[in-house]
Amino acid sequence: MNASWSHPPPPGTESYGYAHAPAYHPVQVRQSFNQPAISYQITAPIQPKPTEQPAQKKKIDWPQPVRDYVQRSFDPSNVLADVDRKDMEDKLKVTISEATDNNTLHTIDWANLPLPQHVIRQERATAAAAIAWQRESVNMQQMAGSSFMNPAREQMLKSKKRKSQDIGDAADDESKSIPPWRATNPRNGFEDRITYPADRFDKRQQPLQDDALKGTSKFNKALEKRQKRFDGGYKSTYKASPSPEPSSGPVIGTCQTLEKQYFRLTAPPIPSQVRPEHILRQTLDLLKKKWKKEGNYSYICDQFKSMRQDLTVQRIKNEFTVTVYEIHARIALEKGDLGEYNQCQTQLKALYDQNLGGNPVEFKAYRILYFIHTSNRTSLNDVLADLTTAEKGEPAIKHALNVRSALALGNYHRFFRLYLDTPNMGAYLMDMFVVRERLAALSNMCKAYKPNVKLRFVTEELGFESDGDAAQFIYDHNGQFLLEERESGLVFLTGDAKQIFETAKVAAFSKVDIKGQI
Amino acid sequence: MDLIFGDFRKFYEVGDGYGLAQTLSPISPPSQPERLRNFYRSTNFQNVQKDFKYQILYDNSAPFKLPADEGNGWVEVYVAYWKAVGEIQIAEAAANSGHKASWMKVYEAWKELTNMLHRGYMNCNFGSWTIPCLYVVGKYLRVFAIKADEGAASSQAVSATFQDDFNPDSEKNEKLEDAARQLNRIFNLCLSDRASLEESRKWGIYNIINLLFKTYFKLNSISLSKNILKAIRAYRGDMPPLESFPLAHQVTFKYYVGVIYFLEENYVESEKNLTEAWTLCHKDSIRNKELILTYLIPCHLLTTHTLPTLALLSPYPRLQKLFLPLSRCIKKGDLSGFDAALIAGEDEFVKRRIYLTLERGRDVALRNLLRKVFIAGGFEDAKEPGAPQVRKTRVPVAEFGAAISIGSKETMDNDEVECLLANMIYKNLMKGYIARDRGIVVLSKGGAFPGTGV
Repeated sequence: MNASWSHPPPPGTESYGYAHAPAYHPVQVRQSFNQPAISYQITAPIQPKPTEQPAQKKKIDWPQPVRDYVQRSFDPSNVLADVDRKDMEDKLKVTISEATDNNTLHTIDWANLPLPQHVIRQERATAAAAIAWQRESVNMQQMAGSSFMNPAREQMLKSKKRKSQDIGDAADDESKSIPPWRATNPRNGFEDRITYPADRFDKRQQPLQDDALKGTSKFNKALEKRQKRFDGGYKSTYKASPSPEPSSGPVIGTCQTLEKQYFRLTAPPIPSQVRPEHILRQTLDLLKKKWKKEGNYSYICDQFKSMRQDLTVQRIKNEFTVTVYEIHARIALEKGDLGEYNQCQTQLKALYDQNLGGNPVEFKAYRILYFIHTSNRTSLNDVLADLTTAEKGEPAIKHALNVRSALALGNYHRFFRLYLDTPNMGAYLMDMFVVRERLAALSNMCKAYKPNVKLRFVTEELGFESDGDAAQFIYDHNGQFLLEERESGLVFLTGDAKQIFETAKVAAFSKVDIKGQI
Repeated sequence: MDLIFGDFRKFYEVGDGYGLAQTLSPISPPSQPERLRNFYRSTNFQNVQKDFKYQILYDNSAPFKLPADEGNGWVEVYVAYWKAVGEIQIAEAAANSGHKASWMKVYEAWKELTNMLHRGYMNCNFGSWTIPCLYVVGKYLRVFAIKADEGAASSQAVSATFQDDFNPDSEKNEKLEDAARQLNRIFNLCLSDRASLEESRKWGIYNIINLLFKTYFKLNSISLSKNILKAIRAYRGDMPPLESFPLAHQVTFKYYVGVIYFLEENYVESEKNLTEAWTLCHKDSIRNKELILTYLIPCHLLTTHTLPTLALLSPYPRLQKLFLPLSRCIKKGDLSGFDAALIAGEDEFVKRRIYLTLERGRDVALRNLLRKVFIAGGFEDAKEPGAPQVRKTRVPVAEFGAAISIGSKETMDNDEVECLLANMIYKNLMKGYIARDRGIVVLSKGGAFPGTGV
């Protein structure tokens, strides 16, 4: 933990982890920390605690090591030109009073504690580094120059440097695929209406963000995370720090560019970078064409996310909003990106509740299938509670409900009939759990049928396309010894299967893990 | 003012925490309907601080003297309470005259009271015997939050976000989520008290946990309850055992834990906790017993395949309506009747989150039907006179199929019948195997339907 705290991680390299984080994190104006990072190698914490100081002032007999430490600090040979005396004195005072408050006066190894001027210099370097990372132009040698750094620390910096090199390489790769005018002059004129494949995870060049704040936000996050853990974690993160009050009322966008890369907001949106609805409508048409022609999912997903963001910041909630989410949901479904699909689905539910049009029946059916997949009983119950009698009669919803009840009762026969006859895009969702249901059905059959059944029967009962597929499935789960060639055709020796499908079934049911799902 | 502070002194002197807590109730007692109104009118914004200070700290007629920090802490608490009472009266007056009441302000004022009380424990040495005050304040914090959210839903409060998507849930339950956070603070206040057990706020923990559970259930964030249980488990070494807490706290806690397990389909643990709650529950709290049985009965159906007796249900007309139709069908093995009863009760079952569990009772109904077929098959011809009779254990699938088709009032093909039979065998409701080639089921000679006597 400490190691990762001693430097704010370079935002570019670690933002992967948050690619699916659902919300923005308010960036707090720094208040109590002088620098974005604190070196924990120093035994005494160095944050100033102004409120506590006066109360703790009392006559203290300073131990000799402390006196020596102070003396060394003021020794002319140790004075650093770039740290002025006032700052140094303050730091010294803080260090010692902290030690007094914490009763560590006698335990700290004063002889080896970095001098205050060095601490200050290091903090500055760290802060500078945080900014430098963003600009990808850091010169490590300068930072590593300080003499007090221990080998481990230097090692750390070196490894970071390697990373920065990696970033450089990546940027080079990119510049090969992107014409120079785009690289230097983004969002200008017509060139922008043509797009090149964009990596949706590439968030290094975030134009809207203050570099220094970024570092802080990272640090705050760590703090918030710790706090969250501490107080039981009830969503305290989003409310705990006072967020900068955005100007009242929704933003009205003025951006005329059709395409826009997605970035998570950390500050109030800027109207010139937000596209108004009539532009977004054109964007949607463009994206639909591109998806058909190119099928580049990471590009499409990124574009849709930025569209959703523009809609949200402008508080546009209408039939067009529904269409955007529906299309994104369908594409995500087709590509098996359940995390993204789930985000869209959650929004769609709220939008349908407001009767804004769209295809509520289709998506409510998906929602049921989705919760079957995630084995989310609580949500399944809520879905049942929300459905009206009329909706329960709709073919797609009825199908999904039948799937649910067939599984609840272990009626695999009916389940696989339903699987072969799924309306709309529900099959993409059912494909997600059909394997585990086949395993469940097989372990069921293996216990109930003796001594064997025809392979043909397995094929038909479990909705396989052919005997070959069924045999392959059994093979894939190490059941090759259960297939036997007879005069009447292949038979499946259910009586000899013992626990193999049961074990596979338990394993298959235990791992339903979806990115972006709460 | 005199009334309330008279009570304050009275209860403080004897150390009656529950009595003290009543002086912070937002509702006038029936015996004194004007109590809160008079209390609010007895002072004003300008003088409230000074007046209360006099009452709590400097009144020489008081039989005891409070230490300054503790006294000042209580002054702040009662000032906040006085302001909250003011907001409540405004809201109630508005509601009575048909205007829109602003429960939002009531909530904020009450939250301030909660904060003051919290501060009192943190900084002003409030004694642990006063923790019932936390119960009362926590209880109404939740109540006012719900009212505030109800009001906000219609006015569609504009909350600023930088989020990529709207967050429909937090817009709907903004204050209640906030209340959950405040309750969580109180939870930690109790949990982390390091004073010795006799003096500890830990004795308040289960009451607060129950409030939190209640809130999480309402927010549909039941998973958060797990965090609480984890925290409690981590501290269990320092915690008095659950048995030494007031029975009321125990029963509610066990009930919620039972329901949490129930929703996770851990019916064994659920049954254990619910049964404990059931036995500890006060014999006259019909409503609570009814709630416990709502989950205990379905639990029992799945774990032991037994149905509630009429005698058990007789004091609870609501439960009779809920469970009797299904029970009858299960007993008779009436599949179509079971399906109809499930559909008829669906809304109610879903609301109580027992639908998905009850649905699985169909297995028991099917078992009973198949058992009838088995019994109707009669006995093998005796090989020699006087030998014990043996039931026919080879039953054609078609016979079961006929029974199911009659029972469910739709024709079912043999493959599906076999599928249902396979399920029965897999779930150990029936012992035997299907010989598909010959189209028969070979049942076990010793107990084809375990636990049913045949």
